[in-house]
Amino acid sequence: MSREVILTTPLKSEDVVSLRVRDVVYINGVVYTARDLAHIRIAEYLKEGKPLPVDLRGAVIYHAGPATRRRNDEWEMIVIGPTTSMRMEPFSELLLGRLGVKAIVGKGGMGEGTQEALKKYVGVYLLAPPGCGVLQAKFVKRILAVHWLDLGMPEAIWVLEVSNWGPLVVAMDSHGGNLFKDVKEGAVRKMHEILKSWVVLQ
Amino acid sequence: MRVIDEKSLYEIALELVKRSSTRIAPDAMFLLRQAYQREKSLAAKRMLEAMIRNAELAAETGKPVCQSPGYPVVYVKMSPAIIVNANIQKVFQKAIVDATKMGYLRPSMVHPITRRNPGDNSGVGVPDVEIEISPEQDYTELTISFKGCGAELANVVKVLTPAQVGKDGIGIKRLVLESVIAAGGVPCPPVGIGIGIGGQIHQATKLSRKAIGAREWTDTNPDPELAKLENELLSAVNSLGIGPAGVGGNTTALAVKIEMAYTHTAICPIAINFHCWVARRSGVRIYSDGSAAFKEDMYRPPI
Repeated sequence: MSREVILTTPLKSEDVVSLRVRDVVYINGVVYTARDLAHIRIAEYLKEGKPLPVDLRGAVIYHAGPATRRRNDEWEMIVIGPTTSMRMEPFSELLLGRLGVKAIVGKGGMGEGTQEALKKYVGVYLLAPPGCGVLQAKFVKRILAVHWLDLGMPEAIWVLEVSNWGPLVVAMDSHGGNLFKDVKEGAVRKMHEILKSWVVLQ
Repeated sequence: MRVIDEKSLYEIALELVKRSSTRIAPDAMFLLRQAYQREKSLAAKRMLEAMIRNAELAAETGKPVCQSPGYPVVYVKMSPAIIVNANIQKVFQKAIVDATKMGYLRPSMVHPITRRNPGDNSGVGVPDVEIEISPEQDYTELTISFKGCGAELANVVKVLTPAQVGKDGIGIKRLVLESVIAAGGVPCPPVGIGIGIGGQIHQATKLSRKAIGAREWTDTNPDPELAKLENELLSAVNSLGIGPAGVGGNTTALAVKIEMAYTHTAICPIAINFHCWVARRSGVRIYSDGSAAFKEDMYRPPI
């Protein structure tokens, strides 16, 4: 049975280990956005031994590129929503293993490498409702900081304070559970039934 | 004879950009609400609930429905009774750039190789403009469609041989189901699926984009064979159980729309074009008597 769970950052392994595929999660605390270019730069900095601007131990990484506005001295969130996570697949081992990230939030799911890393380092992949930019922005209480803005607004790292952010569905858990794999297997079975029925009709 | 000058075209273009970025088309909204009633599983219902609430909030607050503005295409069906005395592509680009400055669109257009982002959604070829002459119309219709680009990653184009098409197009139907399964949650289901069949490959891809970008998702294809195929594929796709956001459920697609052109006897080009649930489309009809009406304001749901 799926449950509804509220989590507070920074996350510990104990928080994550009890989560199972299909659970619905809500998050309080701090979240870091990162997409393609931020991931590439994180990998470059680590390779060159340069310090990162953020400490990602126990962190929640959000695959998202927000639209923001500068008003006086403060950044204002206009909209933010998940982007396709699969593009960040090559970096999961680095993030979860080397940097201590505990949760990745995005859309569309991730691959085998991420599944392995989630198991090895006890992490979770969460699915945010896709295309819900306005609703998601409502959960952002404050923009705490922005790093690497030279990469462009969507590609920078935005540090966000969130309150009761959800619903986020557990799509990959730390026990090898994979919602997308389950759904896909069911879909393939169903497709073969349909194809058979079409052939019979002919 | 009516003439639309650059200034009035710009005003129309800006209004279309604002409308399409802050609300989703009423036909897609109708289908989403219908899906919510039908859906059984908790996670699927929660996802649909968030989508509907988000679309309502965007319309109420005038904010963009989704942070990612998608890629714009402008479809023009031109009546000979109306002269557009302006460069349509340039005028829409200016409207898009200005709407970006106003916060309606996130700067997302980049050079395809260097990935340089000019910061205002300007750039070569943005937006794409497709012009068609409709001699029988007494109005000129302009429709803008912003289609999300996460969904593009799931698109499939292929040139089939006649043997691969098979009896009753079974090869085409199989390719659609396989593509939907391979796409999974990536294109932000519940999706719209545009399918272009025929011509050469460039025609098939253009038809696929137009099918799902320009048509209302609740319309009926005037070609009865294609209408039947659309219904058959929609129900087959929805029985796969991929569900909203790919979490499992009865609603994988809201619509399947097919456009075709005759092709050469040796080939069957096909393009399968995924549209996320965020149907950002707005259209206007400008009549020869000077009046104008927005298509979405005239929308009536099917009975």
